[in-house]
Amino acid sequence: MSAPILELNSVAHAFGGLNVLRDVSFAVPRGGIAGLIGPNGSGKTTLFNIASGYLVPNAGEIRLEGRAITRDSVPARSRAGLIRTFQTPKIFGHMTVAENVAMGLYMKTRSGFAATMFRGPAERREYRRIEAEAEAMMDRFGLLPLSKTRAGELPAGQQRLVEIARARMAGPKLLLLDEPSSGLSHDEVQRLRRWIEELAAEGITILLVSHDMGLMNVCQRVHALYFGKIIAIGTMADIQADPAVRDAYLGG
Amino acid sequence: MSRLSLWIVLSVLAICALPFVLERHSTELMIFAAFYAIAGLGVGLLLGQCGIVNLAQAFFYGIGAYASAYGTVVLGWTPALGMLVGVGVAGLIALAIGWPILKLTGFFLALATLGIGIIGTILFFEWDWLTGGTLGIGGLPPLSIAGFAFDTPDRFYFLAWGVALGLLWLAHNLTNGRPGLAMRAVRDAAPAVEGLGVDIHGLRIKVFVICAMLGALAGSLFAHYVSYVSVESFTVQRSIVFLLIPVIAGPRVVWGVVPGALFVTLVPEWLTGFGDIHQMLFGLVLVVVVTLLPEGLTGLPARLGRRVTR
Amino acid sequence: MTMTLVWQSLLAGLANSFIYAMVGIGIAVIYKGTRIVNAMQGDFAVIGGMTAVFALSSWGLPYPVGFALGILAGTATGWLIDRFCVRPMMRRNAEEDAFLLLTIGLAFTIGAAVLYFAGRDAHLLPGLGGSGSVQIFGAFMPVHAIWLIVISLAVVFGLWAFYRWSIIGLSMIAASISADGAETNGIDVSRMRGYTFALGGAIGALAGILVTPLIAVSYQMGLGITLKGFAAAILGGLANPLGAVIGGLVIGVSEAMAVVGLSSGYKDVVALGIMLIMMVLMPNGLLGHAGRKGG
Repeated sequence: MSAPILELNSVAHAFGGLNVLRDVSFAVPRGGIAGLIGPNGSGKTTLFNIASGYLVPNAGEIRLEGRAITRDSVPARSRAGLIRTFQTPKIFGHMTVAENVAMGLYMKTRSGFAATMFRGPAERREYRRIEAEAEAMMDRFGLLPLSKTRAGELPAGQQRLVEIARARMAGPKLLLLDEPSSGLSHDEVQRLRRWIEELAAEGITILLVSHDMGLMNVCQRVHALYFGKIIAIGTMADIQADPAVRDAYLGG
Repeated sequence: MSRLSLWIVLSVLAICALPFVLERHSTELMIFAAFYAIAGLGVGLLLGQCGIVNLAQAFFYGIGAYASAYGTVVLGWTPALGMLVGVGVAGLIALAIGWPILKLTGFFLALATLGIGIIGTILFFEWDWLTGGTLGIGGLPPLSIAGFAFDTPDRFYFLAWGVALGLLWLAHNLTNGRPGLAMRAVRDAAPAVEGLGVDIHGLRIKVFVICAMLGALAGSLFAHYVSYVSVESFTVQRSIVFLLIPVIAGPRVVWGVVPGALFVTLVPEWLTGFGDIHQMLFGLVLVVVVTLLPEGLTGLPARLGRRVTR
Repeated sequence: MTMTLVWQSLLAGLANSFIYAMVGIGIAVIYKGTRIVNAMQGDFAVIGGMTAVFALSSWGLPYPVGFALGILAGTATGWLIDRFCVRPMMRRNAEEDAFLLLTIGLAFTIGAAVLYFAGRDAHLLPGLGGSGSVQIFGAFMPVHAIWLIVISLAVVFGLWAFYRWSIIGLSMIAASISADGAETNGIDVSRMRGYTFALGGAIGALAGILVTPLIAVSYQMGLGITLKGFAAAILGGLANPLGAVIGGLVIGVSEAMAVVGLSSGYKDVVALGIMLIMMVLMPNGLLGHAGRKGG
C-alpha cells in the first residue's frame, strides 16, 4: 500500500496566544476528492496555508507522498506537485487571461534569462508550446473568448476559473481548492463540480474546502474541523448525521 | 505592425541619421544620452518589471568608470579588459549585496539601496589610492576594440548607440519571454507566483545583477569618452537622475528609457542660462509624473485624448 | 588616545543621537499615520533650519519669531504635500513604489530649490541658551545640546500622550490601520492624513531648527539626514517614537566610536552599515514585535 499523498501529524499553530489549530492529524489518500469543512474561524485557511507552505506550524509534521516537507518553501512544494488556489482569487490582474494561464506552465518550461534575451530556436519552440497549451486549457474551461482580456477586469466567478485553469496547467499531483464556489452562480457551481470530478478522473487528488454543502457532495471523504480539532471523518452523509458536528454547527 | 514597433523603427532610423545632420556639440550630447539610456535601462528593468526602486545605480556606474580608469591608466590594461573587469566586479558586488537585501521589499529595499549608494560615494571619496579621490584619474586612452579606436565623436556615437539599442533589444526580449512574464506576475500577486514554483528571490537577484552590470558598462563608456573620472559623477543625485529616466516615459515598457535619457540630457542644455534650475525642474517633473501621470509623459497624449472624448 | 577624548566624542555623539532621533520620530509619525515611509523627512529639517536662518539674518526678526516661522514652514510644506500629491495618488490607489518615487522626487526638488534660492553656503543659527558650554567629567557639552535633548524627550512624551489620549491622535491611527473602518465611524480619513503630514513636517522642521546651531544647514544635507533618521526609526521598529530615540542613540554613539576608532570619513559608513545589517537581520527593530506592522 502506498503512502497517503498528504499527511498532517499533530499539527498545532497559534497566533499571539490564540490556538487556531490544536493537534490536527489526518491523511488524504492518493486519488479521489477529499473535503474539509468547518465553521468560520475553525482554522481551515490556516491549515491550507500550513499544508502549502505559506505558514510554518508551531508544532507537527507535514508529509507529501511520505516525504517530510514541513520546512520546505512554497516553490519547493509546488515543484513536488502540491498546487493550491486561494479564497480570494490571486490572479495577475494586469496580465491577459492567456498570460495568466500560461504562467501555470512556468515549472514545466526552462527558458532562462540568456535564452530569452537572445531568442534561440529552443526558446522560440518552447514559447510556441506554452501558447498552444495555454490555448487548449482555456478552451477546456470556456475561457478562450476571453484570452486577450485583462484578468483584473473579469467578474469574480471567471477569475476563479482562470485560477483553476492556471493551477491545472502547473500539473499538480495534489490540488488544494480554497472555497472555489464562493461568488459563483448556481449554474457556474454545477459546472465547477463537473470540472472537479474531471480533474479527479485524470488522477489528480483534490482537497476541497467549501461552505457550499451541495458542492461538498463530490467528496468521497470529508474532515470536519471545529475550533482547531478534527471532530469527525466520513462521507458527507455521515458527517451531517454526526452528533458532534450537529452540536458544533447548531448547538454553538 | 503595432504602434510601438513603428515608433521603435522610426527612432532607430533617426538615431542612425542624426550624426550626419547634427553639429559636433549636439553629437556629444547624444553620446551622453546613450550612456544615460544604458544605465537607466538597468534601473528601468528593476522598477518596471520588479517594482524595485534602485538608488545605488551611480555606485555601479562608478565601479565601471573607476575599473576602466584604474585599469588602463595605472595598470596599463587594454580598454576592453578594463571594461570587462568593471562589469564583472559590479555584477559580483551586486550579487553579494543583492542576496541579503533583496529579501526586503518596497520602502525598506529602496532605502537600503540609498544607504548602499551613499556608502559607495563615501568609499570612492575615501579610497583615494584607488580612485584618486577628489582629484580623480585622468588620461584614459580612447576606447579601442580589436585595434579599431573609437576616437572621434561620430565613431563613439555609433558605438554607444549601437550598444544601447542592442541592449534594449535584449531587454525587450527578456521582458516579453518567460522570465518577464513571471516578473510581471510578481507585481500583481507574489504569493500566487510562489505557488507556481517560481523562485522570486532568485529572479530579483538576476535582474539586480543585470542592472548593476548595465550601470558599470555605461560608467566605463563614459570614462573612456570623457577620459577623466572623479567623485562628483557618482553621487546619489546622479542615482536619482538615473531613476528619473525610466519614470519619465513609464517604466513598464523598456523602450521608454530612450525618451527618458533624451529628456535628462537635453533639458539641462536648454536651461543652461538659468543656472542650477534644471535640477529643480527634474525633481518637479518626477513629482508631477508620479502624482498625475502613472503611465509617464508618453501617456499624456492618450490621457488628454481620453478626457476630450469622454 | 585618552579617556577624555573618548568621553568628549561620546558626548558629541549623544547630541547627534537626538537629532537623528527627532528625524526618526518624524518618519515614525508619518509611517504610523499613513503607512508611507517619507524619504524627504530630512528636507523638512532643511526647510525649518533655512527659514529660521533667513528670518534671523536677512529679515532681522527676533529669535522666537524665526523659530516659529521655521516650524510653520515645515508644517505648511507637510500639509501641501498631502493635499497636492498624496491625495490624488491615494485616490487612484497608487502602488507603494509610486509613493517612494514621490518622496524621493520631493527630496530632490527641495534640495535643488534650496540650492537655487539660498545658494551653496551652509548657515548656522545661534544656540538656545547662548554659545556657552558646560563641563561634564572633564569634557564639554554645548548648553544648546542639553536643550536639544530636553526638547526631544518632551516631544516623545507629548506624542505618546497625544496618540494615547487625544481624540485626534487616536483617529489618526485608526485612519491608517483601516481606512474603511475609520470612515464608517465618522472619521475623515483624508483630513487625518493631512494632519499627519503637517505634524510630521512640524517635527521635521523642529529637528532642523535644533540641529542648525550644531551642524550648519545646507541644501544637500536632506537625504543624508533622512537616512540617519530612518536608521534610527528602523532600529526602534519604525512606528514607535520612543523606539526612534533608542535607535538614534545606537546610531549616534556608534558613529562617535567610529570617529575615535577609524576616521571621521567613515562615520556614515558605520551608521548606514548598522542600518543595513539591522534591516536584514532584525526587521522588527530592537524592541521586537512592536514594530513595522503594529500601530
